[in-house]
Amino acid sequence: MKRNVAIVGGGQTHHAARRQDVSQPEMVNEAVLAALKDANMTMDDIDAVLLGNMEFFEGQHMTDCWLADSTGAFGKPGLKITTGGTVGATIIAAGAHHVASGLFDRVLCIGFEKQEEGDTNAILSGVAHPLFGRSMAGAAMGFFAMLGSSYMANFGATEEHSAMVAVKARQNARKNEYAHLKLNIKIEDVMNSRMLAYPIRMLDMCPASNGACAMVLADEKTAKDRCKKPVWLRAMETAHNEQFVLEWRDTSSTAPKFSDVAATRVYKKLGVKDPASYYDVFEIYEPATWAEILWYEDLHLCKKGEGFKLIEKGITEIDGSIPVNPSGGVLSTNCIGASAMLRIWEAALQIRGDAGGHQVPRDVHRALATGYGGTCWTVVTSLSDSLED
Amino acid sequence: MSEQTVDQEYIHVPILVDVPYRFDAGKYMTRFLVELRDNEKIYGIKCPSCKRVMIPPRIVCARCHVKCDEWVELSNEGTLEAFTIMYFPMTDPTTGKPHDPPFSYGSVKLDGCDAPIDHMLNIEPDMSKIKVGMRFRVKFRPREERRGDLADIEYFDPIE
Amino acid sequence: MTDNALWPFEVEQHITAMSKYYAGKIGSRFYITLRDEGKIMAVKCPRCGKVYMPPRETCGPCFYNMKVDDMVEVGPEGVVETFTQVHYNEPVIPREAPFVYAVIKLDGADTGITHYLGDVDYENISIGMKVTPVLENERQGNILDIKHFKPV
Repeated sequence: MKRNVAIVGGGQTHHAARRQDVSQPEMVNEAVLAALKDANMTMDDIDAVLLGNMEFFEGQHMTDCWLADSTGAFGKPGLKITTGGTVGATIIAAGAHHVASGLFDRVLCIGFEKQEEGDTNAILSGVAHPLFGRSMAGAAMGFFAMLGSSYMANFGATEEHSAMVAVKARQNARKNEYAHLKLNIKIEDVMNSRMLAYPIRMLDMCPASNGACAMVLADEKTAKDRCKKPVWLRAMETAHNEQFVLEWRDTSSTAPKFSDVAATRVYKKLGVKDPASYYDVFEIYEPATWAEILWYEDLHLCKKGEGFKLIEKGITEIDGSIPVNPSGGVLSTNCIGASAMLRIWEAALQIRGDAGGHQVPRDVHRALATGYGGTCWTVVTSLSDSLED
Repeated sequence: MSEQTVDQEYIHVPILVDVPYRFDAGKYMTRFLVELRDNEKIYGIKCPSCKRVMIPPRIVCARCHVKCDEWVELSNEGTLEAFTIMYFPMTDPTTGKPHDPPFSYGSVKLDGCDAPIDHMLNIEPDMSKIKVGMRFRVKFRPREERRGDLADIEYFDPIE
Repeated sequence: MTDNALWPFEVEQHITAMSKYYAGKIGSRFYITLRDEGKIMAVKCPRCGKVYMPPRETCGPCFYNMKVDDMVEVGPEGVVETFTQVHYNEPVIPREAPFVYAVIKLDGADTGITHYLGDVDYENISIGMKVTPVLENERQGNILDIKHFKPV
């Protein structure tokens, strides 16, 4: 990047299934005020405001316009971004590009979703081709279900493995004061939860949450002058799949996948040979349990087809050797427009040592965050406490 | 005006949005759908560079960035790659009515093609009776019901 | 298969989506007061003194968060700031054409709201005209609890 960019502050709302006490602007404002406070800044310090959410999920267009007062965007440059599930990470990437280019020094980035306000399944069906499957679309649930059945058939994993991911996520969420689903559950609770689409059960899926996340990005001078613990954005990569090819679902395919492609580019840029030892913690975007197992493989934390062994051995637990999603992840909190940003913010909190109850029990210097959006694309973000690596 | 409390009433307004649209299938999808509707034929398209056969046919190979123009007639039979049994009453967004659960739904790769088609499976929704690797055959709807949509295929039938 | 003309293939479909708009803290107070007391509440920024109608949670210029306690009653009378006569129907608009939309600045407010004009000769509407709201008897807690504004 032309100029170095740091995260100098951030904040989030408490995430919940119901936030009927607030309008969209009021909810987003909670995260904005938390981020400004954390950055020790006022709105006067901010040069530009970028905002994003899922298109039309709340039945409202032009959210950047409707929310301008409460985001602080009034009179400032900015724009709205919608890239589906990845949007939160795309906003950070765009904010970083604006700072790196020298155009702005301090950019406020906001992602939010108030899922209870809209008809997410109907709007999401608009992703499918009108004449090639829209009428039969099984939505995200059907996709992850087929991914799971294909993975089990090809690699010998079982439904218990996905249940282990479900348990890890919700047990970690119990340590995270902001998380939505803080469930004290065991594997049998997952196995006994309602079957939605075989092999996906209720507890294998993410919830529909309301919430927001906001972060302040700044140039190197601002970060060093004004921030005690800047977290540096060292590399960001976006990769898409091709139309009609749901790359993750074809688990036997050996063709390059969006996830693997983006991670490989990040590793190459930073000279990472062994990501499992290079990074101290991972915050990944797993809308369903099986997605987490695929991420292990696509981020090269293990060999292809062996992801389920990592969860089986407890390696990705909060106190394991490769902690993945100590926050509880998307499985515990999914306010979609904020979800990918929360991965980056949670990764930054881990590096700062400010994650509180879900801080991993080790020194954290580097973290990797991923976003995910359907029909299969990602933004992979590498963070560090140092500009030297 | 008193300070609000947690038990304050909060107002919400229901809104129904109905978005009509007219979709143009384009040259490649049109030919694919017309062959499906009129001739019960399923065509893929072959990339001249990587030789992949893709479905539905499209003009550009995303990997090779070259124009595809070799149309390949595919077999009506293929192999199950992935499946699910849908227990959740998922609404058909084009009709507003749910498909009746439970039903079997799967991803079948037709012989001669490198990409699968997702569709209904005409098999009992019993997970012990469906296996990845099973063989299936396309069942077309009767001519008078076909209108140029992937749903002109009624389902995949298991081959005994 | 030949390359000769296939008719352009078009389909007409639609997507139907339900949504719910949550008015939030300030918005709820506005609608509840309108419904239960027939009064119109705006919100006044304690910092710059601007009175916003419809009320909102944050003063944009000050980036100051206003409270329910900062709400003030305005109107009911106001002044037509601008208007237009609409001659076509749209499914989402709950009025048959022709009808008149106006931006009305209520007494005591600094910003105007859009609403309908009624009980009025459409030929004799003018900017600066004094108007007053006509309320529904059975009020539901939405903006159509005001039926329209009519000349004073």
